[in-house]
Amino acid sequence: MADRAAGSTKTHALDGLWSRLDKLYLYSGYLAAFCLVMIFLTTMLQVVSRLSGKNITGLTDYAGYFMAASAFLAFAHTFNHGAHIRIELFMSMMGRFRIVAEWFSFIVAVLITGWLTWFAWSMVYWSWKLNDISQGLDATPIWIPQLSMAIGLTILAISVLDHTLRLILTGDHRLPASPDAL
Amino acid sequence: MEQLELLITFLALLCFLLGSGTWVGFTLVALAAVAIEFFAHRSAGAPVATTLWSSSSSWMLSSLPMFVWMGDILFRTRLSEDLFRGLAPIMGRIPGGLLHTNVMGCTIFGSVSGSSAATLTTVGQMTVPELKKRNYPEHLVIGTLAGPATLGLMIPPSIIMIVYGVMTNESIAAINIAGILPGFVLAALFTLYVVVISKTDPSYKPLEEPRTTWREKLSAAWLLIPVHVLLFIVLGSMFAGIATATESAAMGVAGALGLAWWQGTLTWHNFVESLMGATRTSAMIALILAGSAALTLAMGYTGLPNDLAQWVASLNLSAYGLLMALLVLYLILGCFLDGISCVVLTIGIVEPMVRQAGIDMVWFGIFVVLVVELAQITPPVGFNLFVLQSMTGHNIFRIARWSLPMFLIMFIMVFIMIEFPGLATWLPSLMLPVTAQ
Repeated sequence: MADRAAGSTKTHALDGLWSRLDKLYLYSGYLAAFCLVMIFLTTMLQVVSRLSGKNITGLTDYAGYFMAASAFLAFAHTFNHGAHIRIELFMSMMGRFRIVAEWFSFIVAVLITGWLTWFAWSMVYWSWKLNDISQGLDATPIWIPQLSMAIGLTILAISVLDHTLRLILTGDHRLPASPDAL
Repeated sequence: MEQLELLITFLALLCFLLGSGTWVGFTLVALAAVAIEFFAHRSAGAPVATTLWSSSSSWMLSSLPMFVWMGDILFRTRLSEDLFRGLAPIMGRIPGGLLHTNVMGCTIFGSVSGSSAATLTTVGQMTVPELKKRNYPEHLVIGTLAGPATLGLMIPPSIIMIVYGVMTNESIAAINIAGILPGFVLAALFTLYVVVISKTDPSYKPLEEPRTTWREKLSAAWLLIPVHVLLFIVLGSMFAGIATATESAAMGVAGALGLAWWQGTLTWHNFVESLMGATRTSAMIALILAGSAALTLAMGYTGLPNDLAQWVASLNLSAYGLLMALLVLYLILGCFLDGISCVVLTIGIVEPMVRQAGIDMVWFGIFVVLVVELAQITPPVGFNLFVLQSMTGHNIFRIARWSLPMFLIMFIMVFIMIEFPGLATWLPSLMLPVTAQ
């Protein structure tokens, strides 16, 4: 993350907060990576248990939960890396009006992520309230794995809002141009 | 009438949001929200949240990060260096010479990596400087790189096929296996082109390669064997029904880690880099997939895809006519969107039409991938053209002109696929089902 801060020479009063937030996205990305390793381990356990004839039930459901956690927890980190796909063709043709499109797309992103975050927490609340149990063989109370979605979307919403603020305050959203897009 | 209004609103909103640079995933969610709130007159929040959850927490989807990670680990082994050193002595003296390292390199690397830009970069960085040094004409060097690099999408394991499988609920393993034969046929066509052009192009005057003995050829090929063994096991276990797609992919990760360890490239730094890279790539794809799941749900509420399918059916198009219309659609879309976004954006609408026309969905997956490949080298916006532009500094339209022969070959391939559907459907029909599960 330090390399990105170094790219911009201007300093800002909020740089301290921003570097702390960058850390939040990074750590949440590490947690996502951990979940990805867990998908690997659960799946390998599944292979081994089947080959040895002892089928452990519910493993595929756990792999699915880790899949969701790995994705949602990585959203903010991915966003911070500029790795989510957007079409920059028309923006780059707009010249000095590009900033208008930047404003617009960031505001849409703030609205969407805020809206999703609200309803993700509401979903978790109702799953907990109604004591929803997974329909799979694992019989997990579903609000536990669903927490990863609510938390991940919250961090994503924070990061989108954060970069929108950076855009407003400095005229630069400070997202790197898609480095490792497909 | 209301459906027409809906369709127009949708297309306008879609173009506006995407064009203004709104992230694809957020655009899809926004469209879903608008459709449910204003056209189905229901509250959108709760159903969209539930759909995001159920589409993301799927066992089927978990093969995606595994294949991405496997590719990322192999990417950091010595494979890319070995590729040129291994292929050059073998290809050196056949007609077309080292241009074949482009085609073969992309074919091999395409099977490791699921994306075409990664294939292009990796292979191009090795071959372009070497080929230029040996006086190969630049338009052939670039051209024979741009086309074959798209094999990364076709030759399994392929990310775009996983996305397609998840969206259409078709077997991910079957679609990946279905890509093998068309991928090889396409590679063979490219190879044939290289041979022919080396005999006919007057500017083709490369430096003579030194003679190599069989022993040298074999020891060069030896460099490339470990990764092939790994891929053979991964695809073989899917094919033989020993493992599901996710399980094969996880074994691939284990094998790739073993290979990297054996080669001495498995440092802690490399491990973390590959893991974080895979995490970001799969999160990026998961976001647009989640968005598309929300949009598909919204479309279901409005009934638009079914109505469109009915409408297309009422036109009495032949299956052939439908495919031609879709070919044009994807070529246009591919001018603005990357391959995965193309599939994600359209499949919800296209799937009912295609099913109604009685077209096999596995075959159609390969067709879509091929057409999307084609779009990667279509100007003004083809992802491969962009990558080549930044790599070589040439103007994008010049690169597109140099790639034109490849474009034509792939275009012909589309019709070969239509004429011989067995290319895609034969291998999957031999697959054994996974017994457990």
